[in-house]
Parts: sequence; structure tokens; C-alpha cells
Amino acid sequence: MPLSAYLIVSALLFAIGALGVLIRRNPLVMFMSIELMLNAVNLSFMTFARFLNSVDGWMFVFLVLTVAAAEVVVGLAIIVSIFRTRRTINVDELNSLKG
Amino acid sequence: MLVGNPIAFGVLSVAAVASALGVVLFRNAVYCMLSLILNLLMLALFFLMLEAEFVATIQVLIYAGAVMVLFLFVVTMLAPDASSTEGRDRLRWQIGPALGLAIILAGSLIVAILNGAVASDARKSGAGSLFTQVQANGDTQAFGQALFHGFSFPFEATSLLLLVAVLGAVVLGRRLASRD
Repeated sequence: MPLSAYLIVSALLFAIGALGVLIRRNPLVMFMSIELMLNAVNLSFMTFARFLNSVDGWMFVFLVLTVAAAEVVVGLAIIVSIFRTRRTINVDELNSLKG
Repeated sequence: MLVGNPIAFGVLSVAAVASALGVVLFRNAVYCMLSLILNLLMLALFFLMLEAEFVATIQVLIYAGAVMVLFLFVVTMLAPDASSTEGRDRLRWQIGPALGLAIILAGSLIVAILNGAVASDARKSGAGSLFTQVQANGDTQAFGQALFHGFSFPFEATSLLLLVAVLGAVVLGRRLASRD
């Protein structure tokens, strides 16, 4: 398959992830949509690595993987602590900065 | 240049897009989670088709394995309340504009890809040609050589990032224990 076919799949996955962040009210599902966007970008990195005969794209995928792991750890800790104090995690009801 | 079997590509891309839609559209957060794991496995198969066996392996082991298990723990802990609050959505009108914006995003990305602008910009960047080592030594060795020679500074920065994430998780967890 040509380069553009892989990139179109990647663009569709990215747009679906962006849609998920916009329409869902549950921060856990919004997080999953962010993971979806990160993975869509990973797919285009891998595609360019293969088509440009370079392993640089693999390195970026590795770094994105690490950043995603760190982001999940800190983000889930924040969501759990919000749930403990507010008893809800609906993002529309989280409108005060003071806990 | 053509890479990959067209039939396998078609099946994989349909499965990947369908599982991504599942993440967005399922009401129950646990189903969203399982759909996301399916999507990550499909991407690992894409990576195999792009001849990057080592990256496909770490995608399955670390991403679909470790990170998603952590995620699933929190989702099952919070999901009952989460799915009940999802019902009364006070900003329902946002769905229409969000759908329109997502379609515009996908359309403009696809137009840019089909114009060839993205691919020609990438070729102009003159990426390094470490790929000859893949043919000679296998892709795990090429990955290691690139990581510890050309990318050693980002690798060290990654260790700092992980340290900060561990400290952040510990601090957030501790404050929560003392408040209860």
C-alpha cells in the first residue's frame, strides 16, 4: 500500500480521538481519546520511518510511549484524587479551582 | 513504493477505525477501555506490516499490557459513578459542532496528505539512513544503536521524566490518604 493510505488511516484515527475529547464528559474516556490521538501520530511516525528508510521514527515512537505512560500515571492520580474529594468526575461539574 | 498486503491493510484499517469509534461511542467506560486495547493491538499489527517487529512488541507489552492494566484498574474503580453522571449531559448542543469540527479536521488532513505536501516536506528533512543496519543486524540491534548513539540525550531526559512522574504519583496519593 502507498504512503498516503497509512497516513489517511492515521488522520482518521486522530480525528476520531479529537471528537472523543470534544463530546465525552467522562475524563477517563477523554483520556482514552488522547491515547487514541497519540497512537495515531505513532502510526504516521512508523510509516515515515519505513518509507524514508530511517529508524528516527522508531525513536520518536519510543519517546511518545514513555510520555504517554507518565501522562497516564499522573493524570489518573489527579482524577482519583478529584473523585475522592468531589465524589464526581463529570467535567461539567468541576468548575472551581479550590478543592 | 508499496508496503504491505492490500487485503491485510484493508482489514486492519477497518478494524482500527471501528475500534476507535467504539472508544468514542460506547456508553460504558469499561467497553471504551476494551475497545481502546483492541485499537492498540491493531496498531501493533500495522507496525508489523511496516517491518518494525521490536516496536510492535513493545507496543503490545508496554502499551496494551502495562499502561492499559493501570487504566483498567482506575476505570473499574470509578466507572459506576462515571456512567451514571454521563446520562445527564448539560451541554448536549456541543455534540453537533464537535462532529462538524472533527469532520473538518479529518478532511483537511486528508487533503494535505493527498496533495503530497506532507510527504515532500518529510523527504526534504533528509532523515538519517540508519535503516541499512536493519537489513544487516536485525531491527532490535538497529533500535538499540540509534537509541544509545544518536538519541542518547532524549533517552536520559526520558529517565528524568519518569522520575518526575513517579514523584507526582506518590505526592498525589499521599495527600489523598491524609485527607481521608
